[in-house]
Amino acid sequence: MDATKMRLSLKTLTMLLLVALLPGAAGAASFTASLDRDSMMLGEQATLSLKFEGVQPQDAPGMPNIAGLQFQYVGPSSSFSFINGQTTSSVTYNYLVTAQRAGDFTIPAMRADIGSQQLASAPLKLTVTTANAPSAAAVNSGSEIAFLKFNFPKNKIYVGEAEVGRLELYLRDDVQNFGNFQITSSPTDGFNAGKTTELQNQRRRVQVGNRVYTEIPLALPLTAVRAGALTLGPFTASAVVVLPSQNQGGDPFFRQFFNQGEQQQINLATEALNIQSLPLPAQNRPANFSGAVGQFSFAASAGPTTVTVGDPITVRVQVSGRGALDGVTLPAQNAWQNFKTYPPTTKLDTADPFGFQGTKTFEQIISPENSDVHELPALTFSFFNPDDGQYHTLTQAAVPLTVKAAGTSPMPVQAANKNSADEKPAQDILPIKENLGTHTQNKTPLVAQPAFLAVQSVPVLAFLAAFIWRQRTDNLANNPRLRRQRAVAQLVRDGLNDLKKFAAENKADEFFALLFRLLQEQLGERLDCPATAITENVIEEHAVLRSAPNATRDTLRELFQLCNQARYAPVRGTGELNSVAAKFETTVGALQEVKA
Amino acid sequence: MKTFFASLCVLLFAAKVFAADAAADFSAANEIYAKGKFADAAAAYEKILQTGATSPALLFNAANAEFKAGHLGQAIAAYRQATLLAPRDAELRANLAFVRNQVQGATVRERFWQNWFSTLTLNEGAVLTAVLFWLTFALFAARQIRPELVPKLKGVTRILVLLTLCSATVLAVQAANHFSTATAVVIADNAIARSGPFDDAQTAFTARDGAELSVLDRRDGWVQVADGAGKIGWLPVKQVEVLPGA
Repeated sequence: MDATKMRLSLKTLTMLLLVALLPGAAGAASFTASLDRDSMMLGEQATLSLKFEGVQPQDAPGMPNIAGLQFQYVGPSSSFSFINGQTTSSVTYNYLVTAQRAGDFTIPAMRADIGSQQLASAPLKLTVTTANAPSAAAVNSGSEIAFLKFNFPKNKIYVGEAEVGRLELYLRDDVQNFGNFQITSSPTDGFNAGKTTELQNQRRRVQVGNRVYTEIPLALPLTAVRAGALTLGPFTASAVVVLPSQNQGGDPFFRQFFNQGEQQQINLATEALNIQSLPLPAQNRPANFSGAVGQFSFAASAGPTTVTVGDPITVRVQVSGRGALDGVTLPAQNAWQNFKTYPPTTKLDTADPFGFQGTKTFEQIISPENSDVHELPALTFSFFNPDDGQYHTLTQAAVPLTVKAAGTSPMPVQAANKNSADEKPAQDILPIKENLGTHTQNKTPLVAQPAFLAVQSVPVLAFLAAFIWRQRTDNLANNPRLRRQRAVAQLVRDGLNDLKKFAAENKADEFFALLFRLLQEQLGERLDCPATAITENVIEEHAVLRSAPNATRDTLRELFQLCNQARYAPVRGTGELNSVAAKFETTVGALQEVKA
Repeated sequence: MKTFFASLCVLLFAAKVFAADAAADFSAANEIYAKGKFADAAAAYEKILQTGATSPALLFNAANAEFKAGHLGQAIAAYRQATLLAPRDAELRANLAFVRNQVQGATVRERFWQNWFSTLTLNEGAVLTAVLFWLTFALFAARQIRPELVPKLKGVTRILVLLTLCSATVLAVQAANHFSTATAVVIADNAIARSGPFDDAQTAFTARDGAELSVLDRRDGWVQVADGAGKIGWLPVKQVEVLPGA
């Protein structure tokens, strides 16, 4: 059963239990709505609980449409209590409430029709405020435990320009510790935002107004993707700080060592920053401009320069500098019409953690299509520099080529052999395979197949069987009494067959000789003494046999006497011998039951 | 017994017919590829894959066709699936490396140890570990049955136990990588990753066709992914091919 089915079953079971218990529940039915808070900041969430006591609605109540508020159903919770013979049960439906704007909201009274009953809740009020950064006066006075600032290096930015915003968290000097720092809202509409990371080794203590604060800087890489008036922030965050305990009791000397501090939840907000995002100018835009924005340098090389028609030439272009390198592409080179070109490969080596500074290397394979080609035309790369607001075009000089005519010079195909010393960059994929090869239908890995796992228990079981066998063998080897017991049991089993055979053949002498020997062996084993030492007298003398049933002892006596008589009156009939053999068998069975 | 043998014969016959059909379809798809109709060839290979048949060669050719048809992401996804079946195929690795080089933007690549661990397929690792496991316990059993062999078998036993433990460790890492991690290969031209799993959420970053991203979470037709530069965002499932393993 999967987790979903199990949850459904549990839910159904809970509901059935509640339904079963409700008839016995005491008290009137009620329906109440409550919020876990009356006010919250924009970006936070409140919890709305609809509680039904004494009744069980069929389903979660639908929520009213309130402009600016969104409700997200979380799930039900139920409780049941039995106090002084009175049972009460309740079901609570929980919703997350998210505000889309600041303002005062009223959640109207809600009605629920349950069977013949009509229940209604009271209306609720929720005030949503925008997060406000503390005033400069408050910060300078030192009354703020912590505050957040956001700095962006420019107030005008071009579309495609990349900059790193700096989010600074300030903690007052009496904050002993802080944790659970979470950015709860980071409005960066119109920007492509990267991951916020702390700038390592840049924490410092700064004097702000009357107090000293610890500044913790965080970097937020941003790339403008839309033109127009954009707003960054307000960024909001929450954290838990530990402040010195206000409890001033006890000895001041010890208090300075054992002050555990008090935890306090704080909400932080920055001012919103207005940024003007400018479109890239259309004027003077180079024809081969491919969207690179930043400050770049450009280097190119090509080789080999002496080739035959169709031979590959590797053109290596390196674009280095600062900007959104991720989006930098190799511009189309219109002057390469006499070359066959292949898609370029790229490699990005970044020099900063944001990917805004570094080198992007393009490698492109081209091949001259005729022997009239004498040079690789000049390579150009255009970019827009946001610092001077102008387009720049960088050019690398043409590379002279010597192209020889060739009768047949097929475009080389990538070789699979990776061991060749003069390995060249791949120019195309390797061709398809002609044979389908071994194909399979079952895609489930062996380790996920129960049968495969079950088979692995076989060697373990085999080992356990061998282990048990070894233990039993060792026990037998170390226990001569047990060994004798088993040997005598086997001897008696074989002997009984011989007795029956002698009886059938009417060989009385052999019959009684064997019978006497078997009696000696069996009694010797039971009494733990040599078989040759056994006579009729042991029946009376030995304590072990004294504890045997009287009938057994009588039969033993009788058998011994028969053996003795046989020496003097050996002739007996087959029937009598069979009767004696049966008595012996019965007696031996009884003897084996006697505790030795 | 007769019924059993009859059923076995029917199954064997059906398997043989199925294999013959797949081989014929494969050859037909190869011919389409040879004519330069790469998109049609890709569709033909995909049709064979949809029957449930799979082989390294089939996935390799499907990937080649997708690449030639200009679908980098589909090609990388198929090559990666093929490497799960034939991790030591040099041609496969060469083509995968070549196509990966065509992909723009940040992407997630296997680490050295992951490459090392994936030298064997998961099934090869499982069989190797099982064989070593059986041998080890057979040796244990032999030591019980013939204790006089214990001194002679001491060195062999130690080596076998060590090999079994190493093999089981590698298998455990492989299995954990296969079952608990996933990679999303972008199969759309410019897939816009958003900050939340809904269409009007803010743009987090743009992933290019063929970008390989780590899957962090899945929710209602969306996958949360991280690219090689550490950017995190949500992409619609239809724009990615989610594959097992990192």
